[in-house]
Amino acid sequence: MKYFKLPDLGEGLPEAEIVEWHVQEGDRVDVDQILVSVETAKAIVEVPSPQAGVIAHLFGAAGDTIHTGEPLVEFAGGEDADSGTVVGQLSQAQNTESQRESFIIGAAPSSRQAVHSTTTPAVRSLAQRLGVSLETLRGSGPGGRVTARDVEHAADLNQSFGAPEPLKGVRKQMARAMAQSHAEVVPVTLCEDADINHWPEGTDITMRLIQAVAAACQAVPDLNVWFDGQQLARRPHHRIDLGVAVDTEQGLFVPVLRDIGNRSLDDLRDGLNRLRADVKARSIPPAEMQGATITLSNFGTLAGRYASPVIVPPQVTIVGAGVIRRQPVAVGNEVCVHRVLPLSLTFDHRAATGGEAARFLQALTQSLSE
Amino acid sequence: MNDNAITLLDAVNLALARALEEDPNVVLLGEDIGTNGGVFRATDGLKARFGERRVIDTPLAETMIAGLSVGLATQGMRPVAEIQFMGFIFPTMEHLVAHAARMRHRTRGRLACPMVLRAPFGGGIHAPEHHSESTETLLAHIPGLRVVIPSSPARAYGLLLAAIRCDDPVVFLEPKRIYRASKTLVEDNGEALPLDTCFTLREGNDITLISWGAMVQETLMAADQLTEEGISCEVIDVATLNPIDHATLIASVSKTGRCVIIHEAPHHGGMGAEIAATLSEQALTYLQAPPRRVTGDDTVMPYYRYEQLYLPDVEEILIAVRETMEYSG
Repeated sequence: MKYFKLPDLGEGLPEAEIVEWHVQEGDRVDVDQILVSVETAKAIVEVPSPQAGVIAHLFGAAGDTIHTGEPLVEFAGGEDADSGTVVGQLSQAQNTESQRESFIIGAAPSSRQAVHSTTTPAVRSLAQRLGVSLETLRGSGPGGRVTARDVEHAADLNQSFGAPEPLKGVRKQMARAMAQSHAEVVPVTLCEDADINHWPEGTDITMRLIQAVAAACQAVPDLNVWFDGQQLARRPHHRIDLGVAVDTEQGLFVPVLRDIGNRSLDDLRDGLNRLRADVKARSIPPAEMQGATITLSNFGTLAGRYASPVIVPPQVTIVGAGVIRRQPVAVGNEVCVHRVLPLSLTFDHRAATGGEAARFLQALTQSLSE
Repeated sequence: MNDNAITLLDAVNLALARALEEDPNVVLLGEDIGTNGGVFRATDGLKARFGERRVIDTPLAETMIAGLSVGLATQGMRPVAEIQFMGFIFPTMEHLVAHAARMRHRTRGRLACPMVLRAPFGGGIHAPEHHSESTETLLAHIPGLRVVIPSSPARAYGLLLAAIRCDDPVVFLEPKRIYRASKTLVEDNGEALPLDTCFTLREGNDITLISWGAMVQETLMAADQLTEEGISCEVIDVATLNPIDHATLIASVSKTGRCVIIHEAPHHGGMGAEIAATLSEQALTYLQAPPRRVTGDDTVMPYYRYEQLYLPDVEEILIAVRETMEYSG
């Protein structure tokens, strides 16, 4: 502000008489520094400076009458802008970059969806005292409210068996994925044995399985698809990206071996070794575990013959391979002892027919038996 | 010129101009609002644009301004009156409480009272006595009287349009400390905001900060600082004190379990007490800590030299939030 005008001194009085100036022209003043004493009809009032600055000019001398709104002092420099108020001072916008405001009308979405444990302060305090985490409890009271009895019961369980271990990371992810699968997918499992008696010593079993899955996908592409159960839509894949289940101490990982239909055996073996090493080192990037079009679970490296492996949507197929063993088989009219590889194929019956799955399994077995 | 960076004050002027333009029944009245453009220039240029029959300078008589507004409103006009400062609103109380607020009830629905009483309120601008109070609770207590407080240019624009179009009497309180404090882009599109909801300014999970008027600025500053400390704050501008949107407040505090209510008005019997009581009644089982209030003091608003001591500041909000976060039963 360039001119400071005599403010309304709060008495509704139109004028005041200058009693004494406390500053001189050329003085530098601070905010709220007393500039002048004036006498109104009611009292002597000290008028503070509304801003810091250098006084360029004083209007009037002791004994002069100044009307409210008339200039009292002139500050050096500055513009004679309208201060926008007749009393006091308003802070002025400083922002040079202007933005549109963003706000939510009403409650935030996270507030509308929030599900939190509901209980009384007394029970909350009890839980804290007994070291029970409310978030792990399912309330038995009205509206799911956690009751004192719930907390005491949980405390008893904790004392007898220790506190429950909440799932973390990969295990938590597995629990969610499996529950989702169980809720959505309509799984059917077919089993078959592949006669692999003719395989030479030292055959890379996993590579043979990967090759066989690729051959089966090429023979019956209907199982190498994604299925959207909400839209009831299928998305066929020309490329075969194979999820390979890898068991670790931390839990189940399924890294993805890309484009298994068009890569050499050596290349695939290198790729698989690298993925396994990354999983073991816990350095595998999330992108390497996404986008599988079909999955292989080679649990035969551990134990077990047949299984009903679980499909993870949107995939529709998973192949399980059990432990290779020697068993009697009919060859022509004779019983021979051959090495056989037990296979389990689970498919989502929403997305594929039994015929398609059977033809897929046939192609798979045939490829392994060659 | 449809989309400009404007202050809260400009937004009031823009909404008034829009209302005058779109509805011939809208008239403005008040002291010095015409030729002078109002004490804060809220009505600047409107008399020149719409004429002295639409933008009326009145004598210095608040009782008359309110009475005239009640009369105009019941007869089909939409008066928008300005009271220069909230400290001068008391002469209008007889008309607001005994007539405007109960017009619908008294006439069994035959008459409504679609008037708006605008008044700048709150401290922090170095004004003299009677120019800095926040007495919104007195008005919000009256059934039938809507009390609306914007805290940003966009909400000032949308809420004032809504207030003028509303068939109920509305007291529209403008936080004068932030009249010109910041500029945001506001589109003059004639779109009103709802008169009975809160506005969620920040979404967060750890604690809900509830405020209105000029204190929303300090609340947002505190929220910024707390975010850096790792405390995720939900910030809610209550905006309409009567009727108040309890549902939004309950939903948010049920999520976070903790809240601090910040207002400039004195502690005792303030709207913070009403909100805290409602949360205790309806969200008790979600609370992790007692609702906490950061308010003005229970004293007459001091003269400008000491007003900063009276006004809640960012530091007080930070302390209240930290203590609420650390609270354990």
